[in-house]
Amino acid sequence: MIVAPTSSAARTADTLLRNTGGRTVMLRMPSPAASLVSEQLGLATPYFHDVPLAPVIFRKARTQTVSGKPVPTELLVSSTIVELTVGSLAYDSPAVLFADALGIVIDGDLFAIETAAPEQAFGKAYLYRLILRAPLAQAV
Amino acid sequence: MQNAKDTFYLMLQQRLAALNPQRVIVLRGQLRPGVLVGENEAPTAHTPVNCFRLTWTTLSIDRTSAMPLAAMQCEIRYATDGSRPMAAMDRGRLLSAMDSELAAALARSPQSTPKLNCSATDSGSAPTPMATSIFWSQPVFAPLTATGERLERTATVDMFAFQEAGEA
Repeated sequence: MIVAPTSSAARTADTLLRNTGGRTVMLRMPSPAASLVSEQLGLATPYFHDVPLAPVIFRKARTQTVSGKPVPTELLVSSTIVELTVGSLAYDSPAVLFADALGIVIDGDLFAIETAAPEQAFGKAYLYRLILRAPLAQAV
Repeated sequence: MQNAKDTFYLMLQQRLAALNPQRVIVLRGQLRPGVLVGENEAPTAHTPVNCFRLTWTTLSIDRTSAMPLAAMQCEIRYATDGSRPMAAMDRGRLLSAMDSELAAALARSPQSTPKLNCSATDSGSAPTPMATSIFWSQPVFAPLTATGERLERTATVDMFAFQEAGEA
């Protein structure tokens, strides 16, 4: 596999992520669907597979809470691992990868991806900022 | 009720695919005709465009006759951002094309189809016809909503089906 050389901004971001509590989370991707009517009708259970993402930082996106709504959380993901995942899973772009993903598994809980935006330096992404929504069962 | 919902989806998918075979979507790596039922797909913040998304809303059951009659409302949402080569300036035309396809698919005679039992499709069997049919009203098109370059419309259709003995 050919991996594009990592930019200095991406290397700096990776170092910062690793040294400020960087951890591993799992990106839950759907496996290719079967060409069965039952999958379209919600009868057959589709398959999923988890892809590790590291280093990442997981934190609350804001401190104030809204009653009945889960607190939005933010995930900062290294662009190095995102580009590697896009390449190895043969996706067109990170945007398509995150749009297709079922969510992010963190400590056994599945968080939905609401938005995914790159942070760029000199036109090249060095970090991806994902806004996640906690499972509704966790809303207080 | 589930059999009626499944039958309506399969009928609409078949008719829309016949009208415009080029309207397709890729869902979980599978190329499919451009129609889906929201409750049967993975929950996601991503809204697919250039396809028809079905949502079942209201339900009422009339039990005055020997065979209960279920009336369900189906919301059919569809949106387009226009095409990139046309710099999204064709979005009005693309939405009009979707309006026409949906109206034609639902108005095509007959406005009924035999109800199918799809419960065995999980094991690879084809849906089996049941004793009664489902039938539906003409669609009611809501005003268009525009968000940025995205044009979106919701059409509602009332669908009716008799509840057969032992049917869920």
